[in-house]
Amino acid sequence: MKSITLNAQSITKHFGGVVALRDGSLDANSGEVLALVGANGSGKSTLAKIITGVIDRDSGEIVYNAEPVVFKNPLAAHIAGVTAVYQELSLVPSMTVAENIWLTHEPLTRFGQVDTRKTVSDTRKLLKLFEGTYQSTLRPNAVVDSLPPDEKQIVEILKAISRNPDVLILDEATASLDSRQVECLFNLIKEWKEQNMALIFVSHRMDEIFRIADRAVVLRNGNSVGEVKIAESSEAEIVSLMIGHESGLGRTERARLEIADEIALELIDLKTDVLAGVNFSVKKGEMVGIGGIRGQGQTNLLHTLFGNKRFEGQIKLFGETMRPNHPHAAMKKDIALVPGDRATQGLLLIRSILENLHLPNWQAYGIPLNIRKATSDANGISKTLNMIMESLDAPVSSLSGGNAQKVIIGKWLLRDPKLLLLDDPTKGVDVGTKAEFYNLLDRLCGSGTTILFYSSDDQELIDLCPRVLVMQDGFIKADLSGDNLTKANLVSTSMGAGLDAVNNNTVVEHEQ
Amino acid sequence: MSNKVDLQEGWRNFNRKNTYVLSLIIFIITTVAYLLLQPNVFDEGVISRLLTSNFRTWLPVILLAIGQTIVMLGGGLDLSSGALVSLGNVILAISITSNEEPWFNLLIVLGVVALGLIAGFFNGILTAYLGLQPMITTFATSFVYSGLALLILPNPWGNIPREYTKVYRNTSWFGIPLALFIIALILIIWAIIKNRRYGHFLLAVGGKADAAYYTGVRVRRIRISTYVISGLFASLAAICYTLLTGSGSAVSGAEMTLSAITAAILGGTSMAGGSGSLIGSVLGAIILGTIKNLISLSKMDSWYRVLVNATVIILALASPGIINLIRRKK
Repeated sequence: MKSITLNAQSITKHFGGVVALRDGSLDANSGEVLALVGANGSGKSTLAKIITGVIDRDSGEIVYNAEPVVFKNPLAAHIAGVTAVYQELSLVPSMTVAENIWLTHEPLTRFGQVDTRKTVSDTRKLLKLFEGTYQSTLRPNAVVDSLPPDEKQIVEILKAISRNPDVLILDEATASLDSRQVECLFNLIKEWKEQNMALIFVSHRMDEIFRIADRAVVLRNGNSVGEVKIAESSEAEIVSLMIGHESGLGRTERARLEIADEIALELIDLKTDVLAGVNFSVKKGEMVGIGGIRGQGQTNLLHTLFGNKRFEGQIKLFGETMRPNHPHAAMKKDIALVPGDRATQGLLLIRSILENLHLPNWQAYGIPLNIRKATSDANGISKTLNMIMESLDAPVSSLSGGNAQKVIIGKWLLRDPKLLLLDDPTKGVDVGTKAEFYNLLDRLCGSGTTILFYSSDDQELIDLCPRVLVMQDGFIKADLSGDNLTKANLVSTSMGAGLDAVNNNTVVEHEQ
Repeated sequence: MSNKVDLQEGWRNFNRKNTYVLSLIIFIITTVAYLLLQPNVFDEGVISRLLTSNFRTWLPVILLAIGQTIVMLGGGLDLSSGALVSLGNVILAISITSNEEPWFNLLIVLGVVALGLIAGFFNGILTAYLGLQPMITTFATSFVYSGLALLILPNPWGNIPREYTKVYRNTSWFGIPLALFIIALILIIWAIIKNRRYGHFLLAVGGKADAAYYTGVRVRRIRISTYVISGLFASLAAICYTLLTGSGSAVSGAEMTLSAITAAILGGTSMAGGSGSLIGSVLGAIILGTIKNLISLSKMDSWYRVLVNATVIILALASPGIINLIRRKK
């Protein structure tokens, strides 16, 4: 395998008004594993996708073997020997394992037909790399759609490696693998490294980075903020690079309201397809943050409580066991959910603000509809929330992100919920609206509403919530409150590392 | 144990690769019913005559269904192909006469084919490059094509020389009509193309376009090519239709679009793209034609005819949803 060098220099990328990458730089060399580390939204995946030509950059330069290059599309990157294992899989579900692995570089017969026999036998050879870590149903002719997530991930890895790349990017490739498969992958990575491949390893798991990487580039808010040699570094150093100087500030003190002793919500060994046994309890009027890397079961947890998922285990609301099997059942118990994807899950975009506000509430206005009362209630809530809008009859699509989010919150506040579930509600919301929103949540807690608040923004959790539960792999990894609730602890526990605070006993133990 | 896995996988793969199984069953049932209602089926020459008269009638819709299937495999939809048949039909009807030299008439035919390719390319650019909704875009372009047809020939008219129409209507070898040979030829060509890279790319684009793009498939080119192929088949259908009727009408293809889509879906092609087969669509089109024949043989009132026809179309269009419902129950 030929030796290569790949330098990405000051790459920038905007998505609409949002800056995904301000100054993304890294250099990768043959025979080395480079880890790309960063918190949620720090720009790791964006940088990886720009290097492989999936998305265009705004500015900056990629120098490949001392030559500036532009990969206009993934095909160009493949031809140059750069390929990636993607986080959201690049497999076609309706095609077989062999068809997927060899797509675009199928071995052909003399007549230009795809040599099916060869693709199958070559796929068998590739599968040997992971021998013993998958079920017998994973075979060349299996349809990808029928495979479990870990085996799909294995196919994705084999697909990338089937191209014999010079540079291989592994973007969260271990997220859905079990420990044996990870072990197997790491042995392969060592082998590939010896064969002079350049590897870029994107991971959220501190232990994996320390096991496999030689160097690490740390991204923070779209900037490459530092580079460390793993052998000479520590978890603490990387975490402090990830969170920057903000860590020293600690969290802003807010007026703490007295919390009643009544337990509002108790979960006992809650399991779903994603959750692996969740236990915690929340008191009435408490606001509990849920943190961790994106996609560790936070959204699933909130949707389960809202009756949107099948589950095992027990949910107790004010001491009473309930089995929410439909959002309607959860609504009857005065539970409200502000979903993460506003446009598709929260709003009827083309309908009016009034209609959206009253979507869950029309029943309260009787038959025939008391439209006057409905309108005055809607006016009331829009004043409370300080909504900026043309009129109640304007379509929701005419609102800004922050105001649209207010409509979703408003429609539930009209029902006066006892338990409010928030799924990353401030994503794409401007700073001013965020501040108003925080005040609103404080007021709600004061009046006895219990709030579960998932946010992908660590700083927000620390600022807002006196207590934060950190999730990883469908477990509650840590229960942080008081002095333990620091950004450093939040980041390190969400990456599976220990607390760096003195008090270590708040880490929740679990069996894997 | 491993045997059972083999069987299950084998069955799943068989179903995936042979999406036309259901249509084959319906085809056999309708065809048997049709033959039973025919008097003297086993007399000499009857079968051959039935084949000839039916397939020359069905061929335009079969061709259109084939083009539509290619588009649907790539994840698109072409609502303009019927209008393109009308356009090709009227152009041929006013241009081809026995007064002209044969080479001139051939030139006209080639021109119609070229027009189909260009119109398909236009559809492809609009949907694949500009990212417009295929359903809306091709619905809109269908008005352009049918409008042009109406401009060229406001009232049905035509006088295609008999020596041309005779070739299409009556040619047969060994009792097998020309139309069946054309279909067989297309299916053979497709069997070859399907297992070339293009076939794999087409199914990948229809199955999950993002994944195909990440893998290095030129998604837009593939998408455009499907519309070009659909345009080609629309012009071939126009030629066959003109030879069948010997005349032209600006609304000749209007009903064919829905028939072609219904045929494709009846044949197991997925509206979502990525799975289906040409043979299924051919069977689907034959089923639709046979059902029409059955209705007319049963001497129903014309109102009931429309009702039965509509019911078949609704069932065909809804069948993927119904099958999904049953699967989920399990």
